[in-house]
Amino acid sequence: MLIQTLVTGIAIGGIYALMAVGYSLVFSVLNFSNFAYGSIIMLGSYIGYYAMVKAGLPVVAAIVVSILGAAGLCLLNERLAYSPLRKRKASSLYFMISAMGTSIFLENLVYATIGARFNTFPEVLAQRNLQFRGSSIGILDVFAIVFSSLAIYALHYFLQNSKTGIAIRAASYDMKVCELNGVNISRLIGWVFVLAGGLAGISGMFLGMKYMVYPTMGWITNKAYIAAVIGGLGSLPGAVVGGLILGILETFVSAYISSVIRDVFSFSLLVALLMVMPTGLLGKYLEEKV
Amino acid sequence: MAAYITGIIIFSLIAVIATVGLAIFTGFTGLFSLGHAAFFAIGAYTAGILTYFYDVNFFLALFAGGLMSGFVGLFIGVPTLKAKLRSDYFAIATLGFGEAVRVLLENLNITQGARGLPGITAATTLPVAFAVAALVIWIARNFVRSRHGRAAIAVREDFVAAEMMGINLFAVRLSSLVFSAVCCGVAGGLFAHYVCFIQPAMFTAYLSTQLTAGVVAGGMGSITGPVVAAIIFVAVPEALRVANIWRLVAYGLLLVLIMVFRPQGLFGYRELSWKSFRHIPDWLKAWRKSGNRRAKL
Amino acid sequence: MNRLELTGLTKNFGGITACRDISLTIPDGQIMGLIGPNGAGKTTIFNLITGVYQPTGGRIYYDGQVLSRLRPDQIVDRGVARTFQNIRLFRNLSVLDNVCIGADRHESYSLAAALVRLPYVVKKEVAIVERAMEYLAVVGLNDKAAIRADALPYGLQRKLELARALALKPKLLLLDEPAAGMNPEESMELAGLIRRVHGQYGLTILLIEHHMDVVMDLCEKVFVLNFGIKLAEGTAEEIQTNPDVLKAYLGEGYRRAGNKQDQC
Repeated sequence: MLIQTLVTGIAIGGIYALMAVGYSLVFSVLNFSNFAYGSIIMLGSYIGYYAMVKAGLPVVAAIVVSILGAAGLCLLNERLAYSPLRKRKASSLYFMISAMGTSIFLENLVYATIGARFNTFPEVLAQRNLQFRGSSIGILDVFAIVFSSLAIYALHYFLQNSKTGIAIRAASYDMKVCELNGVNISRLIGWVFVLAGGLAGISGMFLGMKYMVYPTMGWITNKAYIAAVIGGLGSLPGAVVGGLILGILETFVSAYISSVIRDVFSFSLLVALLMVMPTGLLGKYLEEKV
Repeated sequence: MAAYITGIIIFSLIAVIATVGLAIFTGFTGLFSLGHAAFFAIGAYTAGILTYFYDVNFFLALFAGGLMSGFVGLFIGVPTLKAKLRSDYFAIATLGFGEAVRVLLENLNITQGARGLPGITAATTLPVAFAVAALVIWIARNFVRSRHGRAAIAVREDFVAAEMMGINLFAVRLSSLVFSAVCCGVAGGLFAHYVCFIQPAMFTAYLSTQLTAGVVAGGMGSITGPVVAAIIFVAVPEALRVANIWRLVAYGLLLVLIMVFRPQGLFGYRELSWKSFRHIPDWLKAWRKSGNRRAKL
Repeated sequence: MNRLELTGLTKNFGGITACRDISLTIPDGQIMGLIGPNGAGKTTIFNLITGVYQPTGGRIYYDGQVLSRLRPDQIVDRGVARTFQNIRLFRNLSVLDNVCIGADRHESYSLAAALVRLPYVVKKEVAIVERAMEYLAVVGLNDKAAIRADALPYGLQRKLELARALALKPKLLLLDEPAAGMNPEESMELAGLIRRVHGQYGLTILLIEHHMDVVMDLCEKVFVLNFGIKLAEGTAEEIQTNPDVLKAYLGEGYRRAGNKQDQC
């Protein structure tokens, strides 16, 4: 039972990690929580779903379409809802309201146009389970973990080795200086959102395949915020670690205490951590811009 | 027809009470909350349970509902505000709080869980709602015009400078949180005794968004603005027979549009500068009183 | 009595030492200048005194009492006020409201009384406005009371910050580059204003400035900081001719041309 819980925890933790990385990417550069990220994940999921169901694309193609679609939408979100505020040097309150507004708008737009139906992905990967030392893990979960790891590694490679990637890392330390060194900040931020959007697309697809596709599925991003805090705000490796730890902890709480308490536990953990250890495990605690 | 119009007016007044409370918290002190629907729910359930199970007098129950919300506000406010959470994490914490309250309401015996509480007495009449709304608005305006209101505004404008002005950030934030909680609680109690049936699913994060949208659209730093916006947000969709979902699409879009194009909302800082002009008679009075004080300088 | 005393004050931020082992004393009523090249740690010292940072080492004594562990607003209540290097006015509020927020500290009434607007609250509000107008008159801004703070020209914004700080009725006033961005004429006018309020309100002042004419005009004593450590301390004239100070500000190889003092 213990191993099984652990394994299940890692499976969901992998998805949390993916979401947390996307969220942390934006957070580390712009020092702001993109509350609309969840709705981008949701849209990525819908895009993938329709790619498979309506256009009949195979899984991998659908994932690619989802990545592209989510990346584009994320960028659009930034350009329309955040860019004007950034240019005005608005305080974080305004960013949050704009993000929240975007999230509400998108979720309910989907709800109103497409409907509240819970959609299920077609059977793509056989519902077989792999047996491993007495516990089982779904093929889909294995696939998700592998794919997520690849995506995160690809991101890491990009950030370490490409010119844009290095610029992004520089910007996360000091945007002013970055700008002074000739980096086009607007384009850089665009890249950040594109990358985050891509990750959102993948997360959306796997969440959709593992569970279901519905308008309010974006609320699961709250877990990403918590994961980011556990791992350390502003740190990408921290986001991965935090995601895994949160997934495991939650599953244990769900299995051994009560599944109803699960979300309350996660939020309480968040508050407790922020009070006691705001830098988390690996992070640099960024002072809020005043 | 008359009953229908009365209904809209009562809903508007209830929305006004909750929105004004939130206006003090978000609009004046500058803290973003995603969980104020929880205070609304606490007030609704407390008042409803008291009148339904214990035959408590309506006004007493209303008062108790507000008080209960205030206590809960104090309870969650102290740790989260003491921790000096950055504003987005504070917002997430309020979200978690809203979740926790919902879970609680769905699982306690006395609230009858997800089935809800039917058959509450219809004690909220138009005069009652109007009187409470008028009282809340009066109190809120007194707050804004006082040194305490100025301190709250200072905290929102620049909390570093506010601290350097001798303002205790924690005390200001906590008291505005408790005030907003009490207002939402009272509004919730009125709500429960108007619709006569409440269940946890009525008090979602979307309700919180509706309240926040009212504050933002009305204008942060204003009381009149949120009052007007709250009324518009209730009355207009009703008049247009807009389905609930499209209402939320509109709120979301409105929030973004306001942030991008007109962050001061309807009345934004204008009420503030009007107040500054209101200072002029005071200033003239004070100046006349002080007579030749100027010579000494 | 010493209004302010720093003993061995040190502040580290991770690997960086912003200031190390700073000791200075300001007797009651003195105006002391705190000068040094940019990044020398001057504003850090202000932030330490006002409670924004906690010292890593050393002590801060105000009126003989230790200040560490107090919140900034508690320190203000003890009678310390400051202005900021990058003006921190409440930009969306009126000029009058800005000063009222300072004046609020000394006309107290409870929240409960405020909520029901008891008659004595109204009286106190009039008193607050009256007092605020007095301070505005001192800096010459009383005719601009109703204007939004960010609509003021730069020089007047600095004066507003001063009026706001004065409204707190401080005993110790910390001014962080009050003459920054001003031309020589405006600087000297500001110096005159500072001297006037110093005398009028019996203040002790610690002044960070780069405008040497202001420093020379106002400061009885000057403390020079460089790279977080004390470089020199003395009267304005002593500092002006101190070779270490000259080297820090102007670099090696500087020779004062036609130095009359050398000839005496």
